[in-house]
Amino acid sequence: MSIFKEHKTSADRSATDRRRHKEKIEKAIREGVHNIIAEESIIGQEGKKKIRIPVKGIKEYRFVYGDNNQNKKVGSAPGKNIKRGQQVGDKDEPAAAGNKPGDEAGVEYYDVEITLEELAVYLFNDLELPDLEKKAMSKIISEKMKRSGYRSQGIRPRLDKKNSLRRKLKRKASAKRMGLHDEDDRFPFHDDDLKYKHIKNQVSETSNAVIFFMMDISGSMTKEKKYLARSFFFLLYHFINHKYENVDLVFLAHDVQAYEVNEDQFFKRGHGGGTMVSSAVEAALEIISKRYFPDSWNIYAFHCSDGDNWPNDTEKCLDLTNKLRDLCQLYGYCEIEPNEERIRWTDPDSTLSNTYQTLLGKNFKIVKIEKTEDIWPAFKRLFGGKLGV
Amino acid sequence: MSEWSFEELAVWDDKITSKAKEYDLDWFPIMYEVCDYYEMIGHMSYHGMPSHYQHWSYGKTFERTHQLYNMGMEGLPYELIINSDPSIAYLMRENPLYLQILIMCHCVGHSDFFKNNRMFADTRPESACIRFRSARKRIQSYIEDPSIGVSKVEDILDAAHSIKFHTDWYPLKKLTHKELKEVYLEKVKNDETGDYEDFDLDEIPLEPDYDLLGFIAEHSRHLSEWQRDVINIVKDETQYFIPQMKTKIMNEGWASYWHYRLMNELDLPQKHHIPFLKSHNQVIRPHIGGINPYHLGFTMFKKIEERYGLERCFFARETSHDESFLREYLTEEDCQELNLFSFSKKRDARTIDDISDEDGWKKIKADLIKTVGLNTIPKIYVDLIEPGGVLVIKHEHEGRDLELSYADEVCQHVMTLWGDVVKLITIVEGEPWEI
Repeated sequence: MSIFKEHKTSADRSATDRRRHKEKIEKAIREGVHNIIAEESIIGQEGKKKIRIPVKGIKEYRFVYGDNNQNKKVGSAPGKNIKRGQQVGDKDEPAAAGNKPGDEAGVEYYDVEITLEELAVYLFNDLELPDLEKKAMSKIISEKMKRSGYRSQGIRPRLDKKNSLRRKLKRKASAKRMGLHDEDDRFPFHDDDLKYKHIKNQVSETSNAVIFFMMDISGSMTKEKKYLARSFFFLLYHFINHKYENVDLVFLAHDVQAYEVNEDQFFKRGHGGGTMVSSAVEAALEIISKRYFPDSWNIYAFHCSDGDNWPNDTEKCLDLTNKLRDLCQLYGYCEIEPNEERIRWTDPDSTLSNTYQTLLGKNFKIVKIEKTEDIWPAFKRLFGGKLGV
Repeated sequence: MSEWSFEELAVWDDKITSKAKEYDLDWFPIMYEVCDYYEMIGHMSYHGMPSHYQHWSYGKTFERTHQLYNMGMEGLPYELIINSDPSIAYLMRENPLYLQILIMCHCVGHSDFFKNNRMFADTRPESACIRFRSARKRIQSYIEDPSIGVSKVEDILDAAHSIKFHTDWYPLKKLTHKELKEVYLEKVKNDETGDYEDFDLDEIPLEPDYDLLGFIAEHSRHLSEWQRDVINIVKDETQYFIPQMKTKIMNEGWASYWHYRLMNELDLPQKHHIPFLKSHNQVIRPHIGGINPYHLGFTMFKKIEERYGLERCFFARETSHDESFLREYLTEEDCQELNLFSFSKKRDARTIDDISDEDGWKKIKADLIKTVGLNTIPKIYVDLIEPGGVLVIKHEHEGRDLELSYADEVCQHVMTLWGDVVKLITIVEGEPWEI
C-alpha cells in the first residue's frame, strides 16, 4: 500500500542555482569580450549583426577519454543495413550508455551568440563618459507619433479589424451560450465591437554627439599600426554610440595636410610623406565652427598617431590642440607604437605624447597602445568609471 | 483539472501491489508525491533528492532540461524515484491516468531493485534523505558564514565535483591510512621472502589510492575544517549514487520489464491499454546509433527469462551490475538482433569499426562493456607525494587516452583542493605524458 500526497512546497527550488549559473555566464561573457574586441571579424560590423563569443568556465571539467579512434562507442540499429567503414552522421550523435550529459569531452559548448549592441552593454556599462558640462542645447526635443492603446472611437483608417472581429466573435459566442443566437442567423457588427488604435504624440529628447576621428596616415603609419588604430576607434565609436542617441562621425586623415574622408577611405587610405598634426586639428576646428556648434553638440576628438610630428609644427600644433580641447568633452590622444619599433630613430623626447604633457587634464588624456591586448586597458583608462584604471 | 483522483490512484496501486507480491517482488514502501512538470524538472536537477545542497551546476542542469522540454520532449513520461526507505517517487500532475499507472508499476520495479541488488547494500536508504538534508544545512551554513561566503564554497565544490567520481567504487570498508600501516608493519616484521626489505612505511600513500577525494581530505596540509567537510559531502554523495551508475541498464531494464508485465496483467480497460502500449514502445525504443538503457535492459531481461526462466532474472537483479550482466548474458544472437555496431572518430568523421557478425560481435561486446557503468570514467590514483608536497596522480591507461584539455583543467581544480603542486602522469599516443 503506497502513500499518495500532493507535493507541498511551491518554492522554485532551483531559482538560486539558476541565478548563480546566469551570473557565471554573464561574468564569462564580460571576461570573454575583452579578448575578442580586437578580432578582425567584429570590427566594422553593424550593430545588429550577431557574433559568437566562446564562453569559458561554465563547463564542468572531469577526467574524460578523448574522442578519438581508441575510444570506441557502441550503438544499435535494429533493422538497418550497416557495414564497416560506413560514416555515421554527427547529426544525431548519441551519448553512449550510462553517460550523463557532460561526461564526454566536447559535448558541451557555451558559445554565446549576442549582437554588437548587447556586447556594448557588457563592455561599456561599467564605463562612464566624462560628464563635464551639461550642454544647454544638447538635448534636442523631437516629437514622435506613437501607438498607445485602443479607443472606442476614432477615424476609419485606424480601425483595428482583428481586435474588432475578435470582440464580435466573443459576443456571438456568449449570445449562443445564452441561447440568444442561432447559428443560421446573421450576426452583424455592433458599434461596441469596433476598436480604434489610439495614437499619441510623444515628446522625446535626443542627445547629440559628434566624434572626430583623426588619424595620421603618413608613411610611418604601417598597416599594423593602422589596424590598432582602427580597433581603438571601433570601440570608441560603439561606446559613444551606446551613450548617445545621435552620433555624427567625422573622419580626418592627415599627413602634412588634412582630408575629410569617409569611414572606408579613412582606414584604407595610405599616404607617404611627412606629418603635420596641426593640419588635422585646424580642420577639426573649422568643421566645428561650421557644422557643430559647441553649445548644442557634445564634441569628442580622438587622435591616433605614432607620435612623429615635424619638429617645426610642434608649437602650432600645441596651440591649436589646446583650442580644440577647450571645445571638447574629451580629447583623447592615442599613441601607437608597435613592439618591434621600440628602438626608433626619433628622439623619444620629441614624440607627441611628450609635447602634449602640458595639456594633460580632466578632458585631455593620453594612452599608449603597443599590441591588441593594450586596447582594452587603454580604453578603460580613457573612460575610467567603475572599472578603475 | 486532472482526469484522475487520488482515490483512483489508490485503487490501481492496490491492484499493482497485490500483483507484484504474487511475483515475490520485494520493495520499500513508496511515497508518491504529485507535482507539476516545473517542480518535476526541479527535482530532477537535484537527482530527485527532496533536499540537496545548492550549487550553480544544478541551475545549469535545470535550464538544460527545461530547454529540452520546451523543444518538444514533453511527451516523455518522466519518472523519478529515489533509493530511500520509504522510496520517494514523483508523479506529474499533467499525466493521464494510464501513464500514472505505468509509472507506478515502473517504480515498484526500481524500488525492488534498490532493495535487493547487492551493489546497493551499503547505501543506507533509511537515512538517505536525512543525510542529504544535513549536507545541505552544513553547506548553507558555510555560505552564510561571513568569513567564508558563497564564492569560497563554490570554489571547493567546483573543484571537488571535478573529481567526484574518483573515490571508492566498491562497497568494501576502506582501511584508513593508520590501519593500512599496521597491515604493512606486520608484513615487514614477518617478512621471510624479502619482498618487503625496502618497503618504506612512512610513504604516503602506502599503496595506490583511487579515492582522490578521501586522500586529499585526509592528507592535504592546507584544508580547513569546513573545506574537508565539503569534500566529504561530495564524496558521500558519489558513494550513494555509484551503485545507480553501475546498474543503469539493469535498473531501467528491470523496472521496464515489470511495468510491462504488471500492466499486461492488470486488466486495463481498452482505453488505457492502447496508449499504454504506445508509451511503453516509446520508452523502450532503440536509439538508432546509440544505446537506450531502457531498451537494452528490457531486451536482456526478456532474453534471460526465455533462456533460463524468471528465477534467473531475479538472481541477476540480486547479484549483477551492468558490466557483469552484459558479460554473462549478452550473446551473439542478441548483438545481431540489436544490430550493435561500434564506431569512433577518425580524422574527420565518425565511421563504423565493427558490426555484429561472426567476426565482430565479441569485439563489440567488449567495447560496449567499456562504455557502461563506471567504465566511462578513467581510473586515476594517487601514486605518491614528492618532496615539497607535490601530489603525483597517475592515470591507469587501459587503451584510451585522456582528453588533455579537460585533464588540464581538472588538475587546476585538484591543485585548489590539495594546495600544493599537482602532477598528472598519463600516456598519450603511446608516449608518457605529464601535466
